Amino acid sequence: MTVPTDQHKEGKKDVTFRVFRFNPQVDSKPYFDDYTIPVERGVTVLRSLNYIKEHIDGSVSFRAFCQAGICGSCGMRVNGLSQLACTTQVWDVLAKSREPGIIKVEPLRNLPLIKDLIVDMDPLVDKMKHYSNWVDSTMPEAQMGKKEFLISEEEFLRYDKATDCILCASCVSECSILRANREYVSPAVLLKSYRMNVDSRDAIHEQRLAELVKDHGVWDCTHCYRCQESCVKSIPIMDAIHGIREDAIESRGMKDTSGSKHAEAFMSDIEKKGKLIEATLPIRTNGVVWTLQNLLPMAMKMIMKRRTPPPPPLVKSAKGIKIFRKMFREMTEHVKQDHKSHKK
Amino acid sequence: MKRYAYYLSCINESMTKEVDRSIELWQKDLGIELVKLHEGTCCGGSNLEYVSPKHFALVNGRNIALAEKMGLDLIVSCNTCLMTIRTAKKKLDESPELKKEINEILKEEGLEYLGTSEVRHLLWVLVDDVGLDTIREKVKVPLKNYRIAPFYGCHILRPSTVLGHDNPVDPTSLDQLIEALGGQTIPYNHKNRCCGFHTLLVAEQESLNVAAEALQEAIESKADFIVTPCPLCHTSLDGYQAKALKNAGVESSIPVFHISEMIGLALGYSAKQLGIKRHIVS
Repeated sequence: MTVPTDQHKEGKKDVTFRVFRFNPQVDSKPYFDDYTIPVERGVTVLRSLNYIKEHIDGSVSFRAFCQAGICGSCGMRVNGLSQLACTTQVWDVLAKSREPGIIKVEPLRNLPLIKDLIVDMDPLVDKMKHYSNWVDSTMPEAQMGKKEFLISEEEFLRYDKATDCILCASCVSECSILRANREYVSPAVLLKSYRMNVDSRDAIHEQRLAELVKDHGVWDCTHCYRCQESCVKSIPIMDAIHGIREDAIESRGMKDTSGSKHAEAFMSDIEKKGKLIEATLPIRTNGVVWTLQNLLPMAMKMIMKRRTPPPPPLVKSAKGIKIFRKMFREMTEHVKQDHKSHKK
Repeated sequence: MKRYAYYLSCINESMTKEVDRSIELWQKDLGIELVKLHEGTCCGGSNLEYVSPKHFALVNGRNIALAEKMGLDLIVSCNTCLMTIRTAKKKLDESPELKKEINEILKEEGLEYLGTSEVRHLLWVLVDDVGLDTIREKVKVPLKNYRIAPFYGCHILRPSTVLGHDNPVDPTSLDQLIEALGGQTIPYNHKNRCCGFHTLLVAEQESLNVAAEALQEAIESKADFIVTPCPLCHTSLDGYQAKALKNAGVESSIPVFHISEMIGLALGYSAKQLGIKRHIVS
């Protein structure tokens, strides 16, 4: 029996893997090596790399273990996108490849490089330690192991998804702010921090939160959603980041950080005018001195171009603001009621 | 003439007035009419949702209900307003209790959130409703000598569970629009990256680094200008450009256009009419 040619072609292809290479002990700069191998439908990027290492070049270095999307070891960038090599199908990548038949494999971004596709995870682990990414139990030590520590299903559902994180660091690699400053807490650590902070068995909620609202913490996230979009476990990471912010506002008020003051401005402006009063936003966020030091030259240019936002009295309220305001305040009463019944 | 309800974004009413001004010039040329929603309020700019999730649902449920009352889809020309209002819509459509709670309050204004109006970006309306062929026919001054870097911005792409129009990894709608206007899009890795706008007042240094990277790639690729469908991205890339590039040690500059201005130019309106002279970088 003959196999139809098209089907035969579809079943197996020659694919070129363009692999990032760099050994800091030997090489002066990074380069790429091309390996062209026959790949069958259904084969993953990781299996292809294993094939290359076994049959063509034993010196290609990468980290991998479970081969089943569980351990999180084989995070790397495949055609620019951070993902797990073991759950990424070669055929799927080829379908979207800009250069036909070529798959570019590079190490994760935003972490120090050790060799080829291997990055150093220590900075991430250090941040997890810094932000106490574990449950510090409220149970006295004498009782441990003797008594069950139950949580409600309702509570568990609040962090169920967050517990799916396997620390593959794909989100770390895609983060816009981390790319701009490696001191930033990073999305994976915010996710873990959220998970620990909503756990009723945990005793250091306030302490962890106090650390999270400092510089390079939760307020530095720029809401680009790249972390969430690249998460290999489809965890809504931004919900966790918003969750920490909501908690910070509820527990610490809205006056302690520029991030919370900035957020408060939206709430109060909407209630007042139904519109954002942009002219005073920098001052309300960072104070007069910061605003003069940082924004004066730009403000001058904006004045020249008649681009400055109108001063507060000239910001026109949305039409029908009176009834809007009444409804807004009615919702404020609902929220107060919610908080009361929540505390009970 | 197809009609839509048009959401007024705060920034377009203050700093980037040229956006709405230029849309007003050409909307009828392309067979669309955007009816301004003067009763609409600020969406919360991706902040209100964590300050108070319930106020967030009320405010944006109301914004959508205003369009529903007119029987029209709600069109937005700011990425963040788009993402924010669509997020509220998703929450309301998925939670009958929340919907009931806000509708109890909205009754006072004779409004009800039903979930019948779509919330869409102006760019999507142009590509999907007006159509690229119609746009091509209407072009008077093709942008044929221009190499253009398409900067989509985040909130028209991500989260894809809320947006879902373009593939966030390799979006095409803006590229298609540029080509329909006769321009040439350049390969631009930053097309789906961030402009840094949302942390400009909270983590300025980081935001400037983010903006500088996007600007630098466009400059190095010898683009004539960057175009963006978002007035917030425009503010970061144009308003803060000098500061961002100085910070990165780059001595160069690149103009940044709104899509509404790019369309206006191709339809034969002048830079002055379109308000392009209001940009910080010329």
